[in-house]
Amino acid sequence: MYNGPAIQIDNITKRYKSTREDSLSQVNLQINQSDVFGLLGPNGAGKTTLISILCGIISPSAGSVNYFIKGEPVFEQERRSLVGFVPQEYAFYLELSARQNLDYFGAMYNLSKRELTPRIDELLEALGLSKSADKKVGTFSGGMKRRVNLAIGLIHNPAILFLDEPTVGVDVQSRNAIIKYLEEINQTGTTIVYTSHHMSEAEEFCNRIALIDHGKVIVEGGLQELLVENEASSLQSLFIKLTGEEYRD
Amino acid sequence: MFKIFSSVRKEFLLLVSDKVGLALMFVMPLLLVFIITIIQDSAYKIVNENEIPMLVVNHDEGRQGAELLNLLITSRLFKIDTLNNLPESALKKELLARGKMIALYIPSGFSAGLESNAGEVSHIMMKDLGLEQDSAQIKMEKMPALSFYHDPVLQENYSASITGVIDSYMGMIEKSMMIERIYSDMDLGAKSDKLNAKMTTNRVRINQIIASNNNSAVIPNSTQHNVPAWTIFAMFFMVVSLGSNIVKERVNGSFLRLKTMPTSFMLVMFSKMAIYVIVAILQVALTFSVGVWILPKIGLPELTIPTNFPAFAAVVLISSLAAVSYALLIGALAHTQEQANGFGAISIIIFGAIGGILVPTFVMPEFMQFASNFSPLHWCLEGFYILFLKGGSWHELRWVMLFLGVFILICQLCTYIKLRIEKII
Repeated sequence: MYNGPAIQIDNITKRYKSTREDSLSQVNLQINQSDVFGLLGPNGAGKTTLISILCGIISPSAGSVNYFIKGEPVFEQERRSLVGFVPQEYAFYLELSARQNLDYFGAMYNLSKRELTPRIDELLEALGLSKSADKKVGTFSGGMKRRVNLAIGLIHNPAILFLDEPTVGVDVQSRNAIIKYLEEINQTGTTIVYTSHHMSEAEEFCNRIALIDHGKVIVEGGLQELLVENEASSLQSLFIKLTGEEYRD
Repeated sequence: MFKIFSSVRKEFLLLVSDKVGLALMFVMPLLLVFIITIIQDSAYKIVNENEIPMLVVNHDEGRQGAELLNLLITSRLFKIDTLNNLPESALKKELLARGKMIALYIPSGFSAGLESNAGEVSHIMMKDLGLEQDSAQIKMEKMPALSFYHDPVLQENYSASITGVIDSYMGMIEKSMMIERIYSDMDLGAKSDKLNAKMTTNRVRINQIIASNNNSAVIPNSTQHNVPAWTIFAMFFMVVSLGSNIVKERVNGSFLRLKTMPTSFMLVMFSKMAIYVIVAILQVALTFSVGVWILPKIGLPELTIPTNFPAFAAVVLISSLAAVSYALLIGALAHTQEQANGFGAISIIIFGAIGGILVPTFVMPEFMQFASNFSPLHWCLEGFYILFLKGGSWHELRWVMLFLGVFILICQLCTYIKLRIEKII
């Protein structure tokens, strides 16, 4: 499987107009194809800002992001079709059914009706939502809503998937189903960029991580290498060692 | 094409899932049209219709009181209800109890007083002409006075015009009596009908011409005010549904998610506008149908559909776009659904009040009439008035189109700027 760069981040800096400090400062990262790349850090570290820049929601104040598929550069319009985004929020319509939501967002990814119908059925089945497919999402449990949120990000079979805390507030079964499905699609070559506060989940799921704090990358690399280099027994102890124990707001 | 269809379908599904919003947009205007039209119908009748309800108490024993009453009846300006046994002291109470706005009291000795006055005039004339007359025949009576009672809510100019009509009839009676008396005193026999006609009825006429393009004689009635007025109000009330729908999408991240997709945000806005413009057109179709077919069945005036259909369609379309654009703006500015619903609804009520929806602008004080120019609802209503009451030429509609066009542009521009600031566009 090709594992050259999928995302090349060069000197990204972001300062919001309302703040005096940089939310991100001189961030350099390379995310390879088929990586499950964990962007980890305490609250306010800059994870969501970085993921928003990578998805094209906001622009960086300085620096650049380049995308590649099998070594070939990808341009803006094409990038939007190749990237999937699963935000922290339930960013869909609670008044519509799971199928109607997938149908709508699928069409927004330029999928035809012919392509959409089997894909919706496949995703609903894979994420255990088939039985509730035609019920309003507003009636779903938190775990089911998380799975709908994920399904929308996956509807167009993205080459790169951004997940902003995809398992927050869900039960063990839903978390298990989500992680399992993400591992399956990663096996087929999908690059995953993931943020989470669940260190054990990240340790189990990611092959590479970047630890961000105060808008800067503290460490980056393969998980096992980082644990050895920093003499840490687990990702959680590495996290505490590098970011400290004080509260973050 | 499938993308556009899916986007419009999504908006439609969101709309039909909002039961409260649908009720506000479709049931509310129907109820308001029925209730307010029924309530205001009698008030509009007073202003518009010929037969004004009037209570008359005639205590005169002679023929002049009856003659005045006869003139009032045959004028067809008044719907007369007589109550001759009622003492004058009880008239005020009776007027209010019967729900009438005006009453006329003809006192006892009214005819005698008028005859005495006619005799006095004749006597002066005979004397000036040097003709002899038997002064013993003249019995002097005090000149009588009529009493005109009116409800305090009746406008001063309106009561003045009614007293003017009565005064004009009194002039006719008095002139006729004087001619008769002069003829009698000069021993000329019965009075000359020709002279009588020349002096009493052959007066300078005032021709009333309605200043409308098609010379239409249609005058505003309660239906013609209330049906378009409450339809416009309901159109703008879509702010509750569309505004909160936009806030929801902004707050829950759907808009940001769409930004990561290969789609234009304009498609999202176009779909919303298309669905809600259709809603507004359906509102017009529904309430106007009620005005044409249902209101006449319950004794209310029928709505006359404008003859200039393209202009009618243009006014409906631009009013709908104005309502949708305002809802988009509120949806973009509000931080929460509660803000969008609360501010949206209250602002529409205020715009409605100053725009002449609740009370027509022509009864407002001058500064409020000026303030009404700042209400988009006023301009929408003005557009319908031009269509219904003035035959509606494109030339007359130009200010309506201009104001609403500018209003739509401002709303759309502000929405765009706000969404740009939020990085949604």
